Amino acid sequence: MTTEGGASGPARGAGAKGLGPKVGETVERFELEKAWLVDPVSGREGPGEIVVIDGILESVTWLEGAEAEGVTDKGVVVAPGFFDIHAHFREPGFEDAETVATGSAAAAHGGYTTVALMPNTQPALDEPGTLARVRAAAAASGSPVEVLAFGAVSAGRGGEQLSAMGELADAGVIGYSDDGAPVKTPKLLRSALLYAGMLGLPIVEHAEDLELTAGTEAHEGYVASVMGLAGWPTAGEVSAVSRDLAVLADALGDQPGARLHLTHLSTAPALDLVRRARAAGLPVTCDVTPHHLAFTDEWIAGARRWAWDALAADGTSRDPWIDGALTAGPFNTSLRVNPPLASAVDAAACLAALVDGTASAVATDHAPHTIVDKEVEFGKASNGISGIETALGVLLALVDAGRLPLARAIAALTTGPATVIAGSRARGLTEGAAADLVVFDRADSWQVTPESLLSKGKNSPLIGRELPGRVLLTIAGGRLGYEDPSAGDE
Amino acid sequence: MTTVAPAASGAGTDAVAWHHRHLIDVDVLTWPEIELIMRTTEQMKGILARPIRKVPALNGRRVTTLFYEASTRTRVSFESAARNLSADVVSVAPATSSVTKGESLVDTIRTLEALGAEILVMRHSVSGAPYLAAEIFSGHVLNGGDGWHAHPTQALLDLYTMRENVPGGDLRGKKVAIVGDILHSRVARSNIWSLTAAGADLWLCGPATLLRGFDRWASAWSGGAVPGHGKFNVTSDIDAALRDADVVMGLRIQRERMQGGLLPSLREYAAMYQLNAERISLARPEAIVMHPGPMNEGVEIAPDIAISGRSVILDQVSNGVAVRMALLYLLAGSHEAAQPGHEGAHIETAR
Repeated sequence: MTTEGGASGPARGAGAKGLGPKVGETVERFELEKAWLVDPVSGREGPGEIVVIDGILESVTWLEGAEAEGVTDKGVVVAPGFFDIHAHFREPGFEDAETVATGSAAAAHGGYTTVALMPNTQPALDEPGTLARVRAAAAASGSPVEVLAFGAVSAGRGGEQLSAMGELADAGVIGYSDDGAPVKTPKLLRSALLYAGMLGLPIVEHAEDLELTAGTEAHEGYVASVMGLAGWPTAGEVSAVSRDLAVLADALGDQPGARLHLTHLSTAPALDLVRRARAAGLPVTCDVTPHHLAFTDEWIAGARRWAWDALAADGTSRDPWIDGALTAGPFNTSLRVNPPLASAVDAAACLAALVDGTASAVATDHAPHTIVDKEVEFGKASNGISGIETALGVLLALVDAGRLPLARAIAALTTGPATVIAGSRARGLTEGAAADLVVFDRADSWQVTPESLLSKGKNSPLIGRELPGRVLLTIAGGRLGYEDPSAGDE
Repeated sequence: MTTVAPAASGAGTDAVAWHHRHLIDVDVLTWPEIELIMRTTEQMKGILARPIRKVPALNGRRVTTLFYEASTRTRVSFESAARNLSADVVSVAPATSSVTKGESLVDTIRTLEALGAEILVMRHSVSGAPYLAAEIFSGHVLNGGDGWHAHPTQALLDLYTMRENVPGGDLRGKKVAIVGDILHSRVARSNIWSLTAAGADLWLCGPATLLRGFDRWASAWSGGAVPGHGKFNVTSDIDAALRDADVVMGLRIQRERMQGGLLPSLREYAAMYQLNAERISLARPEAIVMHPGPMNEGVEIAPDIAISGRSVILDQVSNGVAVRMALLYLLAGSHEAAQPGHEGAHIETAR
């Protein structure tokens, strides 16, 4: 397996079709010449070459001078394998929507080599037996994608009493969350922060004030007003973040190890609260999703322009009706997600938080659903977007638009998530370690279709769209995770 | 179908060709298309004035009404309209259908299509539901009201009724005040599109909790920049809304709004916003009073006002049949040769 990258053409990664290893097998030999390497651990990026032998990243060579000529960051890129700290693989309980096997295949297609699964399964992952089931499914899948899991904060995610947090820690969960819903009461959250802090693990919070958001359908704003959708107010997130930060500050007095991670923040004021809390030294981190960075509520009306193209020069949201920007049908249920898609101003705030480090990570909140749960009236549709395969493309669209440096995008998918999860391994291009990397071609694009998505969840608003950055190869822990099926076709 | 309804034959020679397969909201209609609907409605009123109020325009065509929400006037109005055009009418009430067994909207519509439905008139409590129907139904979808989103036939019958009663039939510059629960009103939303297209000086009025979000909408349009539409006003000041109005429309106040904490009491609403004789005296002497029904007399409208000489509420009801005949005819009449685009998957941007 030898190939040459560079900006000149769609040099396809990993050797002739059918001659390389199968998914799950050790990559015996893979060489990539003249590609753009990004190593977020050392902070270095530039032209280089890699060699993988028997699953080990044998050499990383940085090229200079004449050797580096013609190699740019616009062609084939090599980065450490991505780490998604928020995914739903639906097993056990909802295997018609996704399984650990199909989710892992989708993850590898997206360039991910590690995923952290949320515990809102059926039964909820609130004791070690359910974790063992998930791990058995991962082992049986044959995929090399590393599957980590969060335990539930509360037993059955019921919000009444703590889950078996200590036993779950011993069994290997990486934190706790009642995701899908916030930790029900501030009192329980306080206990959870203390107890998890004692165990050295974070609480990952879905920040939503359920009193404010009950019965709502879309972000409260201009679009919801015009469309006649019940509005999910910005205060629905801000009030929950305020609660969580207040409880964290309080818990720290008793347990200095308490750590809070706020996931899928979506509104400008909520991100501002986190920015200030971090500046004040609170041990709080947060992530943003690709969909809140790139889509806005106007997509529900039928707009399909990127969030940054919907932002006016004066920093306000543009009007899709005035602009004549409605190009698709309205009320597409693939856009129903919680928290809801917000305004272009909020999306810009998500981006600003990512750029200035307020948000440590991009997390997909990959939420596959069946057609039964999505081919219904908008207000009855299940919340969630199938997003683990499109995250890279969405971030590359931001990079292409000049809004996000490539290195920051890669860091948000690798080292950033690793800072949230205590004890995570370094995610760099490290010689001598098991190869854990993704190769993608920024000069090539791919079309999102129900067939091109390996996830069972076809609930993507990007269906039909061309995304930049075709993933050519994903190697996880030295084993093949994904190989572009057109590799070697030339 | 080979025959054109005699009274409506003029429609075929209109400069504006009808090209919509469905009618889900008035937002996709250009002003010339709205004028076409108004002219066709006029012709349908001519039919309704005849001794035998029936023409064969939709002879043999199958109209199915599927109403997920209770309705008297809208459903009966559609069914009368369809029968006046000689269509076969099937009425499905989900309360007594398989829907109560958990059948999805999509399955229900596929079943109705398999049973021969060609024109589907639907009402649904969830905003946007008819777009889903239009995506899967191979015939025509006519929206009889969806959630808070749209009620296009009501807006069009309102417009027709206003034009009948305004000298010259021209609403440009005429002050129209809509008072009540704007937030939850599909009637108000559809009327915003049609009345701003007509050039009316539109005022929306209600207590702040029932107007939430409309200030944003009004300020977005304050420059009148949406092609074919103009600005409108939003206020909680009932006197400002009614002063010198040419048209005053009340909207129903639902009792559930008190449980939601949106209103202190019906009594307080009536004291502050009821359309009564004293308040109506602020409007122009010739102003008309409208209400889409059903009314809570004594709450949003005083009983004497509802039956006063100013009231055109019953005209709205009878015009509703004519408007719905016009729309059924335009959507599915024998002229439908030029097959239109698929609106379920595509919204026209031209307005």
